[in-house]
Amino acid sequence: MDAQKIDTSIYVAVTEAIRNEAERIISEGEVYAIVGYTMGRRKASVQPIIVSDASAAIKLIFTPASLNNLAVYLTKAKKEIPKNGKIGIVVKGCDLKALVGLMGESQLKREELYIIGVPCVGVLASTVQPSRELTSESIAPKCLECDVRMPVGCDFVPNVSLPKKPQIDAKYASEIARLESLTPAERWNYWKEQFSKCIKCYACRQVCPFCFCEQCLCDRNKPQMVETTPRPAGNTAWHIVRAMHLAGRCAGCAECERVCPMDIPLNLLNRKMAKELKELFDYEAGFEVNDKGPLATFADKDDQSFIR
Amino acid sequence: MKRETMQTYITQNNLNALLDSLIEAGVRVVAPRISAGTPLYEPLSNSAEMVMDQLPRRSAKEAFFPVCEDIMSYKKEGQQVSLTDIDPSRFPETVMVGVRPCDAAAIPVLDAVFSWDYKDEFFLERRRKTTIIGLACTTADDACFCTAVGISPSGTKGSDLFLTPLEDGGYACEAFTEKGEALITGNSLLFSEATSSKSLPIAEPESETFDLKKVKSWLDEHFEDPLWDGIAVRCVGCGACAFVCPACHCFDIVDEGTEKAGKRRKNWDACGFWKFTHHASGHNPRDLQPKRYRNRIMHKFKYYDDKFGQTLCTGCGRCVRICPVGIDIAAIVEEISKK
Repeated sequence: MDAQKIDTSIYVAVTEAIRNEAERIISEGEVYAIVGYTMGRRKASVQPIIVSDASAAIKLIFTPASLNNLAVYLTKAKKEIPKNGKIGIVVKGCDLKALVGLMGESQLKREELYIIGVPCVGVLASTVQPSRELTSESIAPKCLECDVRMPVGCDFVPNVSLPKKPQIDAKYASEIARLESLTPAERWNYWKEQFSKCIKCYACRQVCPFCFCEQCLCDRNKPQMVETTPRPAGNTAWHIVRAMHLAGRCAGCAECERVCPMDIPLNLLNRKMAKELKELFDYEAGFEVNDKGPLATFADKDDQSFIR
Repeated sequence: MKRETMQTYITQNNLNALLDSLIEAGVRVVAPRISAGTPLYEPLSNSAEMVMDQLPRRSAKEAFFPVCEDIMSYKKEGQQVSLTDIDPSRFPETVMVGVRPCDAAAIPVLDAVFSWDYKDEFFLERRRKTTIIGLACTTADDACFCTAVGISPSGTKGSDLFLTPLEDGGYACEAFTEKGEALITGNSLLFSEATSSKSLPIAEPESETFDLKKVKSWLDEHFEDPLWDGIAVRCVGCGACAFVCPACHCFDIVDEGTEKAGKRRKNWDACGFWKFTHHASGHNPRDLQPKRYRNRIMHKFKYYDDKFGQTLCTGCGRCVRICPVGIDIAAIVEEISKK
C-alpha cells in the first residue's frame, strides 16, 4: 500500500503563533525564558533552544521534525537551565502529559510554567531523515496511537483547526500483541538479543522527563546495585529497573526509544507497563495532576490475586 | 621512501569465498552485518551476512577496544586469594572487512594513545593480529563531513588493504602493508589483474574544509567563552556521542562480582557523563554540561593535537546523527573556524 500523505500545513500558522506569543511573554516579563524548537544545520533538522531574549523569538519553529520532549529541561536533573521564576515551554500533547506527571510528583509548579500547547498532526520517526515528508510510513509510531492531538489546559494554544486524523494501523499495540503471543522463552530471547546491543550510553535515561534522580541507582558503585558494565546481566537489570520505575508514570512520549542509538524498542516495555496499569487499576498516566499514582497507594479494591 | 603498493582486482564472489575460507580456517572475520535490526561491525559466521551498503551504527574501534572486556579475575577460598590475568596471546587472528575510511583512519589515531606511555597490551595485541580491509564510500548523507577534517571517502589511512567498488560489481584492491600483501599472496587464485572497469562514483560529503589550525589556535585562547553555554546548555549528558565515535577512547575500570569471585572489567566511558570527573571529595570540576561538552571539543581539536599532532575526529558524522538534542560537532567547528 502506498504511503498516505499527512497534511502538516497547520505548522506554518503554529510557528507564527508561537513566535508572537513568545515575543509577547518575554518582553512583558511574564517569563524569564522559553524552551522551544529551532532549526539545526542539517536539512530540515530541528533542535531544542532556550530563548531568553524577545528578539530571538523569531528563531522558534514547529515542524514535523520537532521530536524532542522539552519537559526534560524543566526537571531538577537539568541544572544547566536556570530555575528562577516562571518559564515558558512549547509542548505537544504527548509532552504535556509529562508536565502533568511532573506536577503530580511535586517536581513542577503549575504557576511557574507558561505552557504553549501545539495542535499536532504528528512528528517524524527517528529512523527517517528530518527532511522527509510526513506520511503514514515516516510518522513516529507513537503518533499513530495519539489521543492528545489538541492539548488542553495550556496557557496558550495557537488557534488552528486540526485536519481529520488519518486511519493508520497502530504499531505498538500489534507488536505488544505479537510479543504476548510468544512463549516466555521466546520472549526472553527477543529481549536478550535487543539488550545485547545496549552500550549503556544512558541516552534513554537522560532524555526521560521522569528520570530526574540526581544520583541514579544504576550509577552507584558503593555499593554497586546493578552491574554498571554493558554486559548481559547489567544491561538486562538496567532495562528492567528503568521499565519498572516508569510504570504508572510514563505517558508514552517515547523519547527513550527515539534516542536509543542501538534501536532497542524501549517504548514497547513502557507501553506494556501502561497496559498492565490500565487493566489492573484502570489508570492512565498524564491526564490529570495526581499526587498518588496507582503504585504509590493501596486501595481495598486493588487486585490481590497474586497473593496465594 | 614510499613503498610501491600492490594493485589487483577481486570479484564479489571471490571476496565472499576469501572470507568464507578465512572463517573456515578459524580466523575471526569482522564486517558490517545486521544485528537485531541494527548494522554493526560483528564477527561473521559466513560471508552472506555481510552488508556493505550501510555505515555500521558503532565504529570499528570495538574490534580492538571492546565495549566491555575482562582484564583480570579473582577468587577467594578461605583466606586464600588468587588472581588470574587475561592472556592476550589468546586473542584470535582477525580480518576486518568493509571498514569505512572514517573508521579506518581513526585506528592509527587510537594506536598513538594506546602505545604512548603505557603499552595497552589488550589493544595492541588485537591490533597486531588484525588486518584491516577498507572500503571506499559510495553513499553519504548530510551528517558526513570526513573531507572537512582532512579525510576522504576513498582515503586509505589505516587500511592494510583497500577496496574500491567498481561498475562491474567487483573491487579494485590495493595493498599498503605487509599484512595486506600477505592476504593477496596467500590467496592469489581469488585475485586477478586490475580491470578496466570504472570505479563507482565516490560519495563526497558536501561540507567545507575546516581550517583546523585556526580552530586549534582559537581553542588555545578560549577555554572560557560564551560559545560553550550557547551550544551545550541543551546537552542532556548521555554518552551516545562518545560511544559511537571511532576515535573517543576513554574507559572506566570496575570490579564486579561477589566476595568469593569476580572480575575486573574495562568498559567505555564518556566525558558527557556527570560522574566522569566526579571526585571522591564530592567536588566536580566539570559541574555542568557545557563544561563537559567543552572538554569533548577541546580533546578532539586541541589536547590530542597538542600531544600527537593530529585531530581526534574523522568526520564520520555518527555523533551528529544520534545526538538526542541535535548537537552538531560539524556546525560547531565550522562556527569556531569562522571566528
